[in-house]
Amino acid sequence: MKRKELYWALLVFLAPAVLALVVMRILPAAQALIESLFKTNVFSGEKTFVGVDNYVSLFENPDFQNTIAVTILFAFLVNPIQVFSALLLALLFVRAFPFSRLLRSLIIFPIAVPPAVAAVMWSAVYRPDGLANGILKSLGLSTQGFILDEEQALMAIIVMLSWIGVGYWMLFLIAGLNDIPDEIYEAARIDGAGYIRQTVSVTMPLLGRPLSFVLVATTISNFLVFAPVLILTRGGPVGSTSLLMYDIFLRAYSFGDIGRANAGVFILILLMVTAVSLQFFLLRKGNQQ
Amino acid sequence: MKSTKARLRFGKAVKTLLAVSLASIFMLPLLWVFSNSLRPGSETFTWLDPISWQTFFPANPNFDNYLALADTSLGQGILNSLWTTLLTLVFGLALCSGAAYALAALEFRGRQLLFSVVIFSLLIPFDAIAIPLVSMFKGLGLQNTVAGLILPGVANGMAIFLLRTFFLGIPKELVEASRIDGLNWFGVFFRIYLPLSKPALVGASLILFLFQWHAYIWPLLIGTGERTLLGPIALANMKSQYAVDFGLVFAGSVLLSVIPLALILVGQKYFIQSSSTSGIK
Repeated sequence: MKRKELYWALLVFLAPAVLALVVMRILPAAQALIESLFKTNVFSGEKTFVGVDNYVSLFENPDFQNTIAVTILFAFLVNPIQVFSALLLALLFVRAFPFSRLLRSLIIFPIAVPPAVAAVMWSAVYRPDGLANGILKSLGLSTQGFILDEEQALMAIIVMLSWIGVGYWMLFLIAGLNDIPDEIYEAARIDGAGYIRQTVSVTMPLLGRPLSFVLVATTISNFLVFAPVLILTRGGPVGSTSLLMYDIFLRAYSFGDIGRANAGVFILILLMVTAVSLQFFLLRKGNQQ
Repeated sequence: MKSTKARLRFGKAVKTLLAVSLASIFMLPLLWVFSNSLRPGSETFTWLDPISWQTFFPANPNFDNYLALADTSLGQGILNSLWTTLLTLVFGLALCSGAAYALAALEFRGRQLLFSVVIFSLLIPFDAIAIPLVSMFKGLGLQNTVAGLILPGVANGMAIFLLRTFFLGIPKELVEASRIDGLNWFGVFFRIYLPLSKPALVGASLILFLFQWHAYIWPLLIGTGERTLLGPIALANMKSQYAVDFGLVFAGSVLLSVIPLALILVGQKYFIQSSSTSGIK
């Protein structure tokens, strides 16, 4: 009787969610891997096994080489910028000062804006006659091309993404800072450590875990950036913002090249796993010293 | 002693000043968007050279753009977003809290294995596998259906993880006592676990809500029919038209941002609480 009740409970409570996760997360990942080994005929839909041909031809393709280079450059820029800004903001906002709660809320406002909506807003900000150039002109500076300029477009996207994301990561770091016991700071003060010394010698080592969580989480989310590229730049100008997610989307839907698109998906997952393991490795090494 | 106090007060003033300038930078684009949602689209780019108070505060604010949204696909898209997100929230909470309960409170063989399925799913970011998943959904006839839009959002590994961690903190003695009193496993869930877990439920709701409300690539691929066109997609469509009315676009942007903002501000406290106790740090 009791057994039977337990099985019923498992069936009702657990089975739907596990089934959904297997079907809608794990199976598609496996499917991407399998389909990346096949070539699908656009007209007949016929599939032929081609082994790693899709991967080889992707890496031989100059556009794809550019995409990988841009994606890696982007990762090396956006992640340190976001983690560092979030950390500075967290250090500023962790202790109360006049209006700190209100001002902190204003910083996290952009979290609420859906990425696609933010991209639409910033497309107007970055227009040649938009807000950004209006401000530059009023400050007596020369106007810029932003997303229309090959040299600036990637940075313009990074600024927009940081505007959305930094407040969110700040919240995690504030929670982490609050968990550091006051006694440790007191001891450091008695030993004559000033603010900077305290930050370097007490805060940073003890903030290791939340900081590494934020670094890993920003890395993952920044590999998945898609809507801003589609809406703001469509990968341009001259491929300067062609991030991997956009490249995969283009291959699947504009070129109908499902095999190579799935190879792209698998490369994306590999890149993410590599970046995250590398971070864990470096952080562990850093902690041992 | 007095000089230390004065220094402290000076430090706080500097901090406030710094924070005010940072907050202004973050708020500037939003304020500009909001003020332009309150004036005709023909004036969106007229108050920028030079910047004046009129740039950010319209002289004759009105809600015409918001009223005009009602007749557009964007207005319909925002309603569609509300409906699908509400459904995701209801089904998602049911599914995720049930799974978390089974993984935290019920004892059975294979529990560890099933929990690792949840953890493993966390490692596969949904956006990355959206493209392979689309062909499966099309094969099942789920394109342009509300079910097709919400299904990927209802089982959320992060929400399950958060709820399970919270549920583990509920004392086993409480469960044993109520079992002896004749409560079955369904009763234990509804009478003990759910009522005790408000903060975690708020946190999980926020995760589920934002997943669906902020989604872009999935709804773009699976549903662009009249009933399934979601707000962000409709907004991006409107922006890419030849003659863009930024008054309308910005009014839509404000609505699409204000709704999650209200929820984040309400749930903020629970969210930080639950994320800092869920062990992800």
